[in-house]
Amino acid sequence: MASRDVIQYETPLSKAFRWFSAVFLAFYVVWTVLPLFVMFMSSFKDLLEAFKLPAVGDWAGVTVFFDFTPTTKHYYELFAHLGFSTYLFNSLVAAGGSALVSVVLGSMCAYSLSRIDFKGKGDLFFWIISTRMAPVVAVMVPLYWIFRQLDLVGTLPGLILAYTTFNLPFAIWILKGFFDNVPYAIEEAQMVDGATRFQALRAILPLVAPGIGAFIVLCILFAWNDYLFAAIIGSGGAKTLPAATRELVQPQNIQWGQIMAAGVVTTLPMMFLGLVIRKYLVTGLTMGAVKE
Amino acid sequence: MTDATMPKTSGAARKTSGNGRNLDLFRVRHIPDSVESRPVPMSVTEPTSLNKPVSKSFYFWLMAPAILVLAFISIYPFFWMIYMSLHDVDIGHVEWNNFANFIKLPSDSRFLMGWVLLAEYSAMCLTLQIIIGVFLALALNGTRLEKVLVTTLLMPMMMAPLVAGMVWYFLYNGTFGWYHWLLQSLGILGAKSILASANTAMIGLVLVDVWQWTPLITLITLAGLKRVPQDQLEANMVDGASPFRNFVSVTLPNLYPVLLIAIMLRFMDNFRFIDSILVLTGGGPGNATKILPVYLFEVSFKFFKLGRGAAIALILLIVTIILGKILVRVFDRQQPSKV
Repeated sequence: MASRDVIQYETPLSKAFRWFSAVFLAFYVVWTVLPLFVMFMSSFKDLLEAFKLPAVGDWAGVTVFFDFTPTTKHYYELFAHLGFSTYLFNSLVAAGGSALVSVVLGSMCAYSLSRIDFKGKGDLFFWIISTRMAPVVAVMVPLYWIFRQLDLVGTLPGLILAYTTFNLPFAIWILKGFFDNVPYAIEEAQMVDGATRFQALRAILPLVAPGIGAFIVLCILFAWNDYLFAAIIGSGGAKTLPAATRELVQPQNIQWGQIMAAGVVTTLPMMFLGLVIRKYLVTGLTMGAVKE
Repeated sequence: MTDATMPKTSGAARKTSGNGRNLDLFRVRHIPDSVESRPVPMSVTEPTSLNKPVSKSFYFWLMAPAILVLAFISIYPFFWMIYMSLHDVDIGHVEWNNFANFIKLPSDSRFLMGWVLLAEYSAMCLTLQIIIGVFLALALNGTRLEKVLVTTLLMPMMMAPLVAGMVWYFLYNGTFGWYHWLLQSLGILGAKSILASANTAMIGLVLVDVWQWTPLITLITLAGLKRVPQDQLEANMVDGASPFRNFVSVTLPNLYPVLLIAIMLRFMDNFRFIDSILVLTGGGPGNATKILPVYLFEVSFKFFKLGRGAAIALILLIVTIILGKILVRVFDRQQPSKV
């Protein structure tokens, strides 16, 4: 049995690697955080202050960035005059609705798929997963046409259904892996004790509940961050936050302060949710192929 | 069921074999194969259950709603897509056009360029992301700050690609963008923004994708690194391998499967997400960044040539499905080591 830690001796090469990696890491963290930081700060800046830049090559002039008086007027403007409260509501309903539909239907389907075998199961499975992987733009062309005929374009139910195209297969695929890990013996034991089939299923739900909760959150995240469906299927009546943010770009004047504020409003809740489900994030984002 | 009856059978078998023999104290214990392996003809009563056996219909009804919904939003549109790709589709008027949508495609330079640019874009994104991502994972693995730093790196991934595009558009801006100022001050760029010239626009887009999605590769690689067998590393070191040699001949081969998954996932996502590209360049300047999905978006939802769009979408979809087939195969090969 190997010991837990492999002891490695310092060579000049490994020392150099450690130094280089530390520097690179520091650089990379700055590069990651900087755009977020700029977005956050700019959302509190007045329009002219946001445009202040030092002269080219004037490195000492960077302090200009911090030279402003914070204002919350962009946030006020968004919610008071630009109707962002409606868009926020739309986003919540569309993302939450599709996540709920996907996970409820998906977990039922995933449970069955995990418990029985039948001919053509592999094909069914591949169909489900390829629905998820299809490019959104390609799916949208016929979907838009169908939704037009059904008068679903520009409505929240339409948007929920559109988001379900990628959330439902995702939920089925991921949750099947989850149910696979729950031994069938538990249900058998329940049934020996006199539970009906359905009661036995209910008995194992607490075991998968954390996972199901996490994947509801992930589905919300995917739907919330979508722009293409929101822009085309939701155009008009069901504008979500990303679509509304995009529309702040006018040909004549781009309201950068408001755009940044809208960006913060769109991003912050999702970052928070991302941290909450941190444990399941890798599993979710790699479709269950990699586990931490 | 077999588990429950097993002990009974073997017990009975031993008894019958004992009875037929003389009691001999000193003998080699002889157990004929036939006893152990062959079922003994004995009437064993099936254990009775008070429950009715689970019917398949239970599972069927659990599956039906999801399958129905999925069929409505994937198979039904798929047939529509085929139908539309064979017609001239305008709002309120559909006309058969003798495969014109498909016939025109091979001579459509923007369609062909779309593929080339998509390949170029994906290649650049993937190369950078894999190199940086793996290096970051190696640098992070086992350090004290690992948890905090990984959480920090996660943040861009939570952002809507559209918002990310907006922020970078601001940063790249030729008159007031901070990154533009930085690039200019470093002498890399002239007065023109990175997105404004055809040579550099693609690099600008790649940087955004790298910024947002490299952490995913890092996360995947970190998960893979935790599973590199320590005893192999140790054995290799006992044999006198340097840390670098250790990395090349033990760590890296153990990482390949995870990296393959990472590459496939990112590759598919490059097909799927064009939000940030739409904001940053919209395919321009000229057609320099019009990768196929962007072109498809333009044809379908800017010029509303839905028939033509459907033809392109169909081809794109078929390519994606083939890629997906490969991906699923890769996943399946991963399965045993997943536990």
